[in-house]
Amino acid sequence: MALIDLIEEAVIKAPMAATTKEEAVRELVETLFAAGKIVDKNTAINAILDREAKGSTGLEDGIAVPHGKTLAARELTVAIGISPKGIEFGSMDGKPTRLFFLLLAPPDVTGPHIAALADIARLSRSKALCSALMECRSPGEVLKLLKDD
Amino acid sequence: MIRPIKKIMVYIDGSEQSITAAQYAIVLAKTLGADLYALYVVDTRALAELVKYRIFLDTEQEEYRRDLEGDAQRYLNHVRELARKKGIPIITEKAMGAVHSEIKNKVKEFSIDLLIIGELSHIRSRRDELYNEAERAMRSVSCPVLIAKGEEKIWDLYESAE
Repeated sequence: MALIDLIEEAVIKAPMAATTKEEAVRELVETLFAAGKIVDKNTAINAILDREAKGSTGLEDGIAVPHGKTLAARELTVAIGISPKGIEFGSMDGKPTRLFFLLLAPPDVTGPHIAALADIARLSRSKALCSALMECRSPGEVLKLLKDD
Repeated sequence: MIRPIKKIMVYIDGSEQSITAAQYAIVLAKTLGADLYALYVVDTRALAELVKYRIFLDTEQEEYRRDLEGDAQRYLNHVRELARKKGIPIITEKAMGAVHSEIKNKVKEFSIDLLIIGELSHIRSRRDELYNEAERAMRSVSCPVLIAKGEEKIWDLYESAE
């Protein structure tokens, strides 16, 4: 299962309404819940926040990759979120986060889980793409950037 | 006539598609009388990159490496059992490193005639970054590559293999 297979309109939140780190995690997890990708919102939120408590996944240049292993995820799943104003996420460079890739996986799919995170890491190195994604204001715009019709 | 396919290798990555590929490899090995190898690569390069880009903590890297090694054993055992049910001997191999490089190395090391991989994404991406490791391996190995498509048909073939 490639990262691109996991991305559909239902798992994209653009624009996000959240203004804090916890709200951002909650909003993206709720997006996955509404899309039928997870069975228990609170367990998933706690998995992400527990991981964040050990060290923020806020990278440089407005990108964050919160992630976690949890039985609340039916399968490997990813949510993409765009925050036009940016959210304080404890990032490495202190800048607010505008582009989120939130990934959840059940514990028994570590190989695909790592592969998807590695794909996200590669995507996050493309400044032009990430800048373009940050300007998206609808799920359709995000999909258009990532998928070939 | 020389048999063109004496050694088949199937790449297992823990996905359903790779298990389907293993079923097809078992059917082909049985039909052709070929030796069968199954390879799982613990992607330590990806783990190191995730630490480098601060997506992973050092402790997380170690935790996931252990998980990957556990997955490798579990999935290779599963494939061994699938082969055993059809009376096919199989050599299972676990490697560590960059996936596409390790696949290429093992194909060369074992003089593999045919590499079988699971179905690739149906979706075309605009992004080169999203070509997965199996696709990279497909481009770099020196032997023919077969992509096992059609889960239901392959399941029927596997089930009916005597």
